[in-house]
Amino acid sequence: MTSPRQARFGCLLVLLTGWFVAPPPVTAQQVAVEEFTLPNGMQFLLVPRTDQPNVVSAGWVAKVGSVNERPGITGISHFFEHMMFKGTDTIGTRDAKRDAEFRDEQRKVREDLNRLVWTEQYDRYFRGEIDDPWDPANDTQALRVLRGRLDSLIKAQQGRGDDGAATATIVKDEFDQVYTKAGGSGMNAFTSFDLTCYFITVPSNKLELWAWMESDRLHDSVFREFYSERDVVHEERRLRTDSTPTGRFQEQFDSMFWASCGYSWPVIGWPSDLNSYTEEQAQEYWNTYYRPGNLVGVVVGDFDAPAAKAFITRYFSRLTAGEKAPPPVVTLEVDQLAEQRMNAEGDFPPSVEIRYHTVPAGHADSYPLDMLAELLNERTGRLYKGLVEERAIASGAQATSDTRKYAGLFAFEAETRGEATPEALEAAWYEELAKLQSEEVPERELRKVKNRVAAGNYRRLESNMSLLVQLAVAEATLDWKEINDGPRKYEAVTAADIRRVANEYFSPTNRSVATFRRKAGE
Amino acid sequence: MTTFHRFRALVGILAVVASGFVARGEEPPVLPARPEEIEFRALDFKVPEAKQFRRTLADGTVVYVAPSHEFPLVKISITFKGGASLDPADVPGLVATTARMVREGGTATAKPTAFDEQLDFLATEMGVGSNDAFTTAGLNCLSSNLDESLGLFVDMLRKPGFDEARLETSKARLMEALKQRNDDASSILSREWKRLLWGADHFESREPTAASVAAMTTDRLREVHARIFHPGNMIVSVTGDFEEKEILAKLEKAFAGWKKGSAVPDPVAPTAQLAPGLYHVPKDIPQGKVVMGMRSIERDDPDAIPLLLLNDILGGSGFTSRIMQQVRSNEGLAYSAASAVAPKVDYPGQFQARFESKNATVALATKIILDLVEGVRDDLVSYEELETAKLAAIETFPRQFESKPAMLRVFVNDEWTKRDPQFWQTYRDKVSAVTREDLQRVAKKHLDPAKMAILVVGDWDEIEKGDLGKRATMADFFDGKVTHLPLRDPLTLEVLPEAAKPAEKTPAEKAPTGKPAPAGK
Repeated sequence: MTSPRQARFGCLLVLLTGWFVAPPPVTAQQVAVEEFTLPNGMQFLLVPRTDQPNVVSAGWVAKVGSVNERPGITGISHFFEHMMFKGTDTIGTRDAKRDAEFRDEQRKVREDLNRLVWTEQYDRYFRGEIDDPWDPANDTQALRVLRGRLDSLIKAQQGRGDDGAATATIVKDEFDQVYTKAGGSGMNAFTSFDLTCYFITVPSNKLELWAWMESDRLHDSVFREFYSERDVVHEERRLRTDSTPTGRFQEQFDSMFWASCGYSWPVIGWPSDLNSYTEEQAQEYWNTYYRPGNLVGVVVGDFDAPAAKAFITRYFSRLTAGEKAPPPVVTLEVDQLAEQRMNAEGDFPPSVEIRYHTVPAGHADSYPLDMLAELLNERTGRLYKGLVEERAIASGAQATSDTRKYAGLFAFEAETRGEATPEALEAAWYEELAKLQSEEVPERELRKVKNRVAAGNYRRLESNMSLLVQLAVAEATLDWKEINDGPRKYEAVTAADIRRVANEYFSPTNRSVATFRRKAGE
Repeated sequence: MTTFHRFRALVGILAVVASGFVARGEEPPVLPARPEEIEFRALDFKVPEAKQFRRTLADGTVVYVAPSHEFPLVKISITFKGGASLDPADVPGLVATTARMVREGGTATAKPTAFDEQLDFLATEMGVGSNDAFTTAGLNCLSSNLDESLGLFVDMLRKPGFDEARLETSKARLMEALKQRNDDASSILSREWKRLLWGADHFESREPTAASVAAMTTDRLREVHARIFHPGNMIVSVTGDFEEKEILAKLEKAFAGWKKGSAVPDPVAPTAQLAPGLYHVPKDIPQGKVVMGMRSIERDDPDAIPLLLLNDILGGSGFTSRIMQQVRSNEGLAYSAASAVAPKVDYPGQFQARFESKNATVALATKIILDLVEGVRDDLVSYEELETAKLAAIETFPRQFESKPAMLRVFVNDEWTKRDPQFWQTYRDKVSAVTREDLQRVAKKHLDPAKMAILVVGDWDEIEKGDLGKRATMADFFDGKVTHLPLRDPLTLEVLPEAAKPAEKTPAEKAPTGKPAPAGK
C-alpha cells in the first residue's frame, strides 16, 4: 500500500560544478530496458546488470487496484493478493479433483450463510437488536449450524478435521516452500490504489523457476481457502487500521477528502465487504484484470537476457488472452466547492494535516508540484526552517505530492512542539504558502533542490528490487519510460512554474483540514 | 524431494520435444509438469575473504575497500565501537543524542544551517547514528565532489559544533517523541518486553526520560564524543566509484593529525534473570499484541547454527514455518506470527515468538505456539523440513555478500566482534552437517515454555475469556496467575497512579464486564 509518487524519478547525472546557477552540464544516463510483448499481450521489461552477481529480482504487476473496485467489493484487489499465494491445481494440493469438490461444498455453505446474514442479521442490526451482523456471537441457530459445517469442511480440507490428516487435499503453503528450498527470498506483494505488484529475489540460476511458478499461478490460479483467508485479512485490518492510534481517523479523512472517485475507500476494504465477496465476483475480477494484456513482468539483475527471453516466452505463452479489455475507470473526482474540516481526538500528539486536490501522475503540473514539496522538505527545506526552527512550534513537518493514476493530492502535515496548537501550525502553513504564492523561489534554492532530487534518482536505482518496483509502478501508472524522461522534466521546472501552481491549487475552498488532539486524560 | 531423480531422465526428453515444436513454430511447447523437473545449472559462488579487501593506513586505521563503477557515487562508512552500552546510568539516550548532534550541530567553523545548505547543494548525504553496541557515520556523495564532501564529513566527525540552538530543538523533538510512548501498543510491548528480558537497569532496556533529556548538555555530549570518535576506535569501509590507491591517499590525508583515544569497553552483560510467567499491560485496542520468549545463546555458541535452523522450521521462515502455517494459514488467527532467535556477541541473546490477534483468540494462538515449541522438543522434525531449512540457508547464503556495501558490513562487524575468519568459508558445510537429532537436542536445551515469559498488551477483560469455542483461555498458562504491569508515565517512566492495579489475581476472582464487542468481526 505505498504511494506511487517516488517512482517517477529516474536516472540523471547532474555534474555539480559551480556554486551558482548556470544550468549544470546534464547527462541523462538511461536505464537500458529491453522491452517485449508476447502475442497474448503480456509485456516484459528486462534489465540485465552484473554489479551484484548471482541474484535476480523478478516480479510482475497487475494494473488493478482498489480504484477499480466499487461499493460491495471494496478490498477485493488486496484480497486477490492474498489468494495468489494459495496455489494452483499443481502447487498446493495433493488431489486437485477432491480439493475442487471441497471448494465447491464450501462455496455452497458460505452462500447460504451470507444470504442469512445479509437478510436476517442485517435486519436485526438495522432494528438495533444486535451490535454487529457478522459477529459469530450474534449468530442465530441456523447460522451456527452453517458456520459449523463450513468450519468442518475447511478443517477436513486442511487435514485437521475429525478424520485426521487423511482427508487433507491441501499441501500447506507449498508455493512458498518451493521458492524457499530454491533460495528465493523476500517473496512478497503489495496492493495500492492503482496496482498490485508481486516480487521475489532468486539465485541467478533459478530464474526459470520463477517463470514456471508465476506463469503457473497466472494460468491456473484457484481460489483455495477463499473463506478462511478472510480472517487473516480481518487481522491485517485490525493490525494496520483499528489498533493503530490514527488508522481509523486516516481512513475517515480519506473518505471525506475524495468525494466521487475510487480513492475514497481504503485499499484493505470495508469490513462488511470483506465478508461478502462471492466466488463469482472473484472469478469475474480475475477474468477481467488478471489477463496477460493487463500484466507486466519485470526482471532486474544478473541474468542472460536472450536465454531469459526464450524461457519467459515459453512459459508465459501458456496464459490465454482476456476476452475483453478491462473497463475504463470513468468516475472523475468532482470539484470541491467548500473547505472541509475534521477534528479528531485520540491517543496521538496534537497535529494537523491539510490536503488539496491537485493533478494525476503525468500531468504537466505534477512536476512543479513535486518540486514544491521538495522545496518544503528536509532539514534545509522551508518547513524545517520556518516551523521547527524559527517559529519553534513544530517537532516535525512535511509536504507530500501524491499524484496517482486518476487524481492527485498535495498534503501538508505537522506535529506540535511544546504548548503549540494545531491552529498555530495551520496558520504557519498559510504564511509559508503565501510566500510561495507571492514571490518566486530564489534560483539558488531551486538549484539546490534540483541537485538533491537528481542525485536521489540515482541512489534509488542501485538496488535491483528498488528498480524493479519503480519500473512496475511507473508502467502501471503511466509509462516505464518515465524513469528516463522524468528527470529532464524535473530539471526543466522554473521558479515561475512553482509560483503558478502554488496559486492554482492551494485555494481555501480546495482544501480539507484534519486537526488531531490528544484526548483529555490520556 | 524423492521424485526429483526419477523425473530427471524424462526432462531431457521433454526439452528435445519442446525445442522441436518451437523450431517448427507449431504447437505450444510442453512445459515441465512440476518445478522439480527443471534442471538448473550450478551456481559458482566463492566466498569472499575479508583479507582481500582489508587495508591499513599509516596510523594503523583499518579500511575495507571495494570499488564499483556502476554509479558515480562514493560511500564511506565509519563504525565506532560503543553505543547505548556507553550511556551513563543517569542519562540514558546520551550516546544516541550525541550521534545525532554530531550530524545536526554544525562544525567548529560552520554554523549548522550553512553546513546543511552546503551538503544539500552538493547533493551529499551524511548520517550519524548509534545502536546498542556501535555508532556509525555514513557519507554518500557524487564521485565528482568526493574531495569536498570528504573534507566536510571528516571535519564534522572530528570537530562537531554541537550548536546550542540545534541541541534545544533536538531535545524538544525528543520530548515530543517521549510523550507518544503509550500511543501505539507496539511501542509499549517492545519497551516492557526489554525490561522483562534484560532487567530494568540494563542498558538495553533503559530509555530516555524528561530528566535525562534535561541532563543532555553540550558538555556531556563532548565527553561522549571524545570517547567514541577517534581513530583508535574505528573501522572504515569504502565502496563506489574510485580507484583504490587514490581513496586510501585521500583518507590518509583527511585523518592526518586525528589523535587516538583509549579503548572502549565491551557491552556489559545483564545481571537480572528473566522471571517466567504471564504478564499484561493495559491498552484499549481490539487486538492483543503478544511476545513470549526467554534468554537464549551467544553468537559463537556451537549450538547457534542448529538452533537457527530449528527456528526456521518453528517460526523463522514465513509461510514455510510451523507457526505461520498453524496460527495464520490454518486458523486465521493473525496476520503476522513468527519466532526468532537473536544471539548476542557479548552475552546470551533471546528467543522470542510474537503475534497479534483479536482479543478472543489471543489465548488460542498463544496455546498453539507453545504447543509447537513443545512439539520440537518432544519429536524429531521431518526429514523434509530439515532439508528445506538447510537448502534455504545454503542457497540464500551468497545474498549477504551480494552488494559491496553489504559485504563490507559483514567484514567490519566480524572484525569488531572477533569472529573466526574461517566462519563463512565453512558455513555451508556446518549447515549441511546438522541432523534432526541435533535439532531436538538444542530444542530441549534452549527452548522451554516453562522458562518463558508471556507478555500481552491489550484489553485483559476481553482477552482472558478466550475464544467462543472454548479451545483456550488465559487461565491455561501459569495456572492463570497474571502479573498486571502498570502503564508508565511517558515522561518519567514511573508507574502512573491510576494504572496501579492489584499485582496478581486469578480469573475466578473477576466479574464479567459485559462490554459490547467492537465492530468489525
